[in-house]
Order: sequence, then C-alpha cells, then structure tokens
Amino acid sequence: MTEIKKLLIPLTDYPHMPYWATLEEAIVLLNFSHGSGYHTVLVFDEFYKLLGMLHWKDILRAINPKFKELSSEGIDIITSWDDNKFKMPIKDFMSPFDITVDAGDDILKVAYLLLQHDIDIIPVKESEKVLGVVRMHDIFHEITGFILQSKK
Amino acid sequence: MRRLLNIFRRKVVAPKPVQEEGRPFKERYVYFKRLLSENNTVLEIMADMEEKLSGEYIFDMNYVRTSCSKLVDSVQNIIVNLDKLSKGKYPNLYFAFAKINSKIEATLTNKTEIPVTDFTIPFDSVTKDMVNSVGGKNANLGEIKNKIGLPVPEGFCITAYAFKKFIEFNDLKNKIILSSVDIVDMEGLNRISREARDLIMNSQIPPDIESSISNAFSELSRKISSRAGSPTASVRSSAIHEDAKFTFAGQYKTALNVKADNVIENYKRVISSLFNTRAIFYYKSKGFEEEDMVMAVGVVEMIDAKASGVMYSSDPTDAEKNDIIINAVWGLGKYAVDGTVAPNVYIVSRDEPRTILEKTTPVQEVMLKCNPKEDVVEVEVPEEIRAASCLTDDQIKFLADYALVLEKHYNIPQDIEWVLDEKNKFFILQTRPLRILKEKPVKNIQAITDGYKILINKGQIACKGVGAGKVFFVKNDEDLQKFPEGAVLVAKHTSPKFVKVMNKASAIVADVGGITGHMASLSREYNVPTLLDTQVAMKTLEAGKEITVDAINGNIYEGRIEELIEAGKRENPFKDTAVFKFLRALLNNIVPLKLIDPEDEKFSPDYCETFHDITRFAHEVAMKEMFQIADSPNIPNIRKREAVKIEVKIPLEIYVIDLDGGIKSDSKKITPDQILSIPMNALLQGMMAMEWPGPPPINVKGFFSVIASTTMQPHSEKLLWEPSFAIISREYMNFNIRLGYHIQTVEAFVGDNINDNYVRFLFKGGGASIDRRARRTRLIKEILELTDFDVKRTGDVLDARVTKYDKSNLLKKLGILARLTAYTKQLDMTLFNDAMVDWYIKEFLSKYYTEDWE
Repeated sequence: MTEIKKLLIPLTDYPHMPYWATLEEAIVLLNFSHGSGYHTVLVFDEFYKLLGMLHWKDILRAINPKFKELSSEGIDIITSWDDNKFKMPIKDFMSPFDITVDAGDDILKVAYLLLQHDIDIIPVKESEKVLGVVRMHDIFHEITGFILQSKK
Repeated sequence: MRRLLNIFRRKVVAPKPVQEEGRPFKERYVYFKRLLSENNTVLEIMADMEEKLSGEYIFDMNYVRTSCSKLVDSVQNIIVNLDKLSKGKYPNLYFAFAKINSKIEATLTNKTEIPVTDFTIPFDSVTKDMVNSVGGKNANLGEIKNKIGLPVPEGFCITAYAFKKFIEFNDLKNKIILSSVDIVDMEGLNRISREARDLIMNSQIPPDIESSISNAFSELSRKISSRAGSPTASVRSSAIHEDAKFTFAGQYKTALNVKADNVIENYKRVISSLFNTRAIFYYKSKGFEEEDMVMAVGVVEMIDAKASGVMYSSDPTDAEKNDIIINAVWGLGKYAVDGTVAPNVYIVSRDEPRTILEKTTPVQEVMLKCNPKEDVVEVEVPEEIRAASCLTDDQIKFLADYALVLEKHYNIPQDIEWVLDEKNKFFILQTRPLRILKEKPVKNIQAITDGYKILINKGQIACKGVGAGKVFFVKNDEDLQKFPEGAVLVAKHTSPKFVKVMNKASAIVADVGGITGHMASLSREYNVPTLLDTQVAMKTLEAGKEITVDAINGNIYEGRIEELIEAGKRENPFKDTAVFKFLRALLNNIVPLKLIDPEDEKFSPDYCETFHDITRFAHEVAMKEMFQIADSPNIPNIRKREAVKIEVKIPLEIYVIDLDGGIKSDSKKITPDQILSIPMNALLQGMMAMEWPGPPPINVKGFFSVIASTTMQPHSEKLLWEPSFAIISREYMNFNIRLGYHIQTVEAFVGDNINDNYVRFLFKGGGASIDRRARRTRLIKEILELTDFDVKRTGDVLDARVTKYDKSNLLKKLGILARLTAYTKQLDMTLFNDAMVDWYIKEFLSKYYTEDWE
C-alpha cells in the first residue's frame, strides 16, 4: 500500500528537547506547539540519540499525586505546583519508547504496531537516523479515507 | 618594494628565529601590542594637533614639526608591526604611507620661495600680500598706507630678493655654515654668530643693488624734503618668517636716524643681525634650514618724535575688558619699548563715545631724540613737561580711533607702534597681531543658565562648542538614514559612521567614548560640539525633546538657551596666522577619515588618503589577524608543549596558552585563581557562576549507550568533547570555545586605554536544523543588543562586538557572554518556534539581568 514516509512529520517541525531540559520548559514548549496539534516532546541526548518521549500524559502523570490530593478542594493546579518539580529534567518523566518504524514500512504495518502497543505516536528512522514521527490520527485518516474512496 | 622599505628611517627589530611552535603566537602578540600602543600615540597626537586648531592655545612651528615627526614615526611603526603580525598581507599600506608622507614632507619643507622682484620697492606699492618679498613689517606698513589710508612715514623696502643676490654675490652660503654647531653649545653659537656677522660686514653689496638703494633713497628724500631739510631714515629689519612666529620681535637690529651715505653700511648691519646668537638659536631650535634665514629691510623716513609709544587695541590680559591701552613717552619710542623709562599709560574705552578711563603720567627725566647730524642721543626732558601728559586728551582719543581702525581691518586685536611728530601729526610705524594671553572666557555661564534645568553634568568634551536641538537617538545604521536636520545625535557609543550626519547634527552626545577616538576626531573636523562618556544620556534624555549641549563646560540643559548658544560662538584671533594655516594644511593629509565602514569594499590600503585612514585600517585588520590566531593549524601541536590545563568545574576542557603575564604558574595544570588574564578571569568567573545544562564532558561516555542509537545528524563524540583553547595575556584573550556543535570564539582586549579595548563574540552553527540554529542566534542577538553589542547576524552566524568601553564595563560584558555561553548550550534543539525564542529571552533576562548591564 503506502509507505509510512508519506505521513511523516519531519523532526525539524516536531518538538524535541535534550533530556536535561526542565519540565517547565517542556510544558512551555507544548503550550506553544498546541496550535499545531503536537502533544509530545521527543527527548534526545547531546549526541542526538533518541532517549524517549515526553507525552502530555507523562506530564499529567507527573503531577498526578498532587492532582489527586488537590482535586477535591478544586484548587488551581499550577499555582499549587511544586516548583522543584518544575526544575527537574524531563528525563525523569519521559516514557521510554519500545519500538520504532522504518521510513519504508507500510502504513498498515505501522497501524498494527500502534494498536498492539496502544500508542498514538511512533518515531520513524532511516538507517539509524530519526526522520520524524507519525501519529495515529494521521494514519486513521489515511486508512479511513482510503476505505471511503474505494466504496464510491 | 625594497626602495620603499628604505623610506622607513626607523626599523622595528626583526623577529628572532622561530624555535618552538608556540613562539609565533607570542611574537604576533608583541606586534599586536606594539601596534595598539602606536595606534594610541597617533590618536593622541592627532587629537592634540586638532585641539590646537581650536585657537585656545598658542603654539609655534616647533610644535607642529615635532608633532608631525612623532606622527610619521608612529604611523610607520603601525605599518611595520601590522606587516609582521599579518606576515606581509598588506604591502599596499607601504605605498599608501609613502604617498601621504610625501605630501606631508612637501608641506613641511615648503621653503619660502623668494619672488624675483626689484631690489627696492617703495611703500607706495606694497601690500600685505607681498610678505615673501618685503617681510612682515614692511608688508603691513604698505597695507596701512595703501589699503587702510592711515598715515605712515614714507619709505622703501630692500627686498628679500636683494638679500638673496647679496648672499650669492659673496658666496656667503658656502661660508656661513650653521649646521655644524650644536644649539646647546653656547660658545660655539657665539663664535659662529660672530663669524657670520663679520663675513657680512666685510662683504660687498653688489653694485646694482647699491645703486638701486641709492636711487630709492634719493626718491625718498625728494618726497619728504618738505618735512625735513636733510632727510634721514631708520633702517629696520623685516624678516620673512616674522609674521608666522610670534617670537621674533626684538631679535634684530634697527638703526635710527641714518644719513644717505650710511644706508648701505647700516643695511649690512641690520641683515647681519639675522645671524645674532639668539636668532641662530631660535632658527635652529625651530628646525629651520639656513635657506629659511632671509631678511628684507625697510628704509623708513626718520620722524623726530615729539612723543611716541605702543598701543594695544584690546587688553592682552583680558579681552573682556573692552579697553584700548596706550603707552607713551617723550621722544623716540625705543624707550617705551625697552623699558628705559616708565611710560604714560592711557586706558580708553572701546565704546563710543571714546572715554579716557585712566591716565597715568609718571615723571620722565630723559628721552631719546635724533641727533641733528646722525644717530640718536639721550637728552633731558624739558623741566616743564616732565610730569605732563605726553598726549592731550583729544590726541589720546584720536589715536585710540586708529587702533580700532587697524583692528577692524585685520579682524584681530593689534599691537601698534606710533609716533607723534613735532607738528603734532601721528604716524603708524608698525602693526602686528596682539598676543592675547587669555582666551576670552565664555560669559558667565552661571548667569546665563540660571533657572534652566541641568539634565546631565558630566562627560568628556571632544569638540568644544554649544549646540542645541531635538534629541535623536541613534541605535543603528537605519537611524542614521533618518537623522533629522539640526537634531542632537545621542547614542550609547561613538561610531565613525556618525560622520554621515555631522553636517546635520547640532551636537553629539554619547554615553561611552573618549576624546582621542576616531569619531571625536571627526567631530573636531566638522566642528560639531561633542560630549562623550556621559554615561546616562540614553537613559536621561527623551527623544524629540529640545536640549542645549554645552560642550565647553560639559553640561546638557533642558530646552534651548539662545544666549548660551551665542556665547559658544567664539571668534578666533589666531586663525589667520601663518602657523595656523600651516598646521591646517598639514592636518589635511593627516586627520580626515575616509575609511569609515569596514564592510565597504573601499576599506583597503588603496583608499587610504590620510594617516588617520592608515591607522584605522591597520587597527581593524590587526584585530582581525589576532582573532584568527586561535584558528591556527598549529594549535593541536602546541597543546603538548605550551598549553596549560585549567582545572575548573564546568563542562569544558580548557587549555590556555600564555602569551605574556596571563597566568602565574609554571605548572601544567592550574586552577582558575592562577589566571591573571583580566578578560579570561571575567569570562571564567561568569561561567563558573552558572548552572550548566547537560552532562559534564567526562562522565557521559556510555551513559545512555543502551538507548537505541538514532541520530538526527551524524554527530560524533569527538566533535562534542574537543578541548577548548584560550590564547591569553594579561589584557588579552582569544578563547575558542568547543561546546556542543557550534563554533564560538570570545576575543577581548581589556586594558587601561579605552581605544584599545574591545570584546568580540563570534557564534556559528549548532547541531539542530538550520531554522532552530537561526532561532538561537536571534536569541543571542537580542540579548546582546540589549547590552550594547553591535551585532551582525546572518542565519546561524552571529558576529558581535563592543569597542572602546572602559575596563569595568567590558568585564560586565564578558560576564554576560559567559552566562549566554552556558545558557544557550544546545538550546537550538529546543527552539521549536519563535515563541520559544521569546520565552527563553524573557527567562534569561529574568534570571540574569541586572541593572549593572546598562
């Protein structure tokens, strides 16, 4: 069918940070990238090796204990935020990634992997080089669009 | 080229042979330092010479020649040192120098051409333009007679050409050798002087000159026979250079009451006085050649004075006083001039109606009169007039009018010799510029400015004057394009580029900068009142508000103060003198700055037209040469021998190469406190104060090696952890920082002279995609511009500079660079969009910005 490359969001367009960037910086970054629909920060080391991904879910999870504690009182999360956590590096919050796909892989294969691992986004490599990412909802539109088209 | 090199009289000692690889750096640094030092010398001499043109100082030819010769030496040294520093990259500078120098030489050696004229010229046809033929004194008498119309005695000139012919006729040029004698050898001078005078007295006046003098005297006798039965004359010196130097007065002989038969003899006596000891000393100490020693002579109808004296059209001790001062004695004026008797003193108001303000009439016992036969004789003053005033009140007022007529004609105060004959008729015997001892002070500034608000009361005056206009801030080149007519240019620091608006600016104010800088020199050239180093002008002044810049007292006032502007306009009485014109002519080849913009393609030796151009060019390219030394391919080799490792707790592996006094240890490893280099210290301290993002360099290897290796670009560890090298001296640093994937160099010279001082910061590249790298350079640019760096940015290349700040300011700038260095390390990766850049700028400022930055 179609190579996944077609749906690739190149790394240059996608939020990424070194692992020592703070949680605060990552939150700022995700806020600024909100309009583009990106909710994940790719985390690299200084040699541009991919270390993991910081998803908005990771951030929420990071503040989860506080979240639970405060929710009943309806207190604004950000003002009661533990400042020290703000300053902690994102490597402490990121999720490791289990799988990557190759730029030449077929869309269906990638869709299968995403479902199997229950993830929304997956890094795409080409001979050891991270080219960017593909997202579940782009794959969804590609596949369903194709189905609608063929029904006509 | 070899021939050109020979032009260089003083050569810089050739470098010693290179023995070890580190040596060339040290050598080049020595050349750089020498160049900086000579650069300052040149700037200081130029500033001083220009300041002399402000008219507030009396100076002589000796000053001009000495300054010029120092300047030539220093400019030569600049070129030689640049040649060594750059290894001969700018050979055309030698040509530029030779071209300019030959023009200067031509001006300096401009011998007074002696025009071919008649041997004698009657006063009837003399004007002041004929000074080279008839000498200053005669030229002025002719001017008074023929142009002003005041009475002067009849007479004629024996011209400089006659003198020249006399010298040639007797081969005196080869007989009078002054060059052999040392001016400190008084006895030698006396001997030479005596020999020269004897030679002249024993020489024969060529027959054609003798007959010319004799005919002229007959003609003179015919003219004055109505006044005197057997006319006599005074024979007076009228030296050619007399007008240009103020100090010739009284050096030469005057013969009084000479009969026709003795004119020739006395002519010889007067010209022989050109070689009196004092005059020889004077000429030699002023750097004149024998050919410059030329004398014309005036043969002037002898007036047997009833009274005579000297008057000043203005008070030489205080031009403010508005007085005319007249001295008078009974008899001939010699006694008034040489102080034999105490003269009458009359002080007369310059204002109409003429009033005698003061009158002193001491008793005069003796006076000098013409001897009926010849010569002069001292006689007793008749009893009845001894205590009387030499002049009546009407005569005093009448004479005072003459003073003002003369002053008006020459446009500067005059020092006048006058005589009153027995028939109560005044004659002017001589007039010359009056030496005003004190410059007219600006009229009571306090009184003028009372009630006006002082906005700024500090700063260095780079060009004196007062200017008013609306404040216009100049922060970049675009601002200059928009500069409005008549505004006051206010800037953080000076720039030679301001010259573009100097015809429009009514004044210039800068928070930083010194009076010997390039721009200060341009201000003086364009005569724009300029106040520098005000420190607070950018903060204190408001754009568009009217201010008055008093660059005489160093104040800036709110509003426009017309009276102060008026008071700032000062006439300059000395600007018409020959020595001034001479200086101005010389400075034409020295001071104007044509090479303004280093980016301009004409910024090259081929376009250097003045010493200032050469100096500016050499300074600029010398900095460039120094900047590049850290790029030398030799660096890795030197590391083993010369470099010393600094043990410092920051994620950088730093080696230093000491050029001169940069560290105080011989050990191979040193701690930061052993660094003596002023700029290096500032940078290191700033870096050590920072929390560094990311890992230290050593521990990282293998740290995350288990992680899937997916790289965006092929980045090697080798590139990331290369050691950084700093070439340092006590005042200098050229630090090539290897940090992340970009190239970053911080170069600085931080010394005591602000003209030497600069910090340059070059930043290029990065590991992220080009758009993110460019965002990082934008971030750095904006922060640096806030701290007054002049920043050029193209994509991910950034070149920032500050120059001519004082030490403490530059150290702060280095502190900022240190913080930025740490802060922006691999920050490019993060810069997803411009909003992120803005956020990081804010973050940086909120964390590290202090008032100190400004």
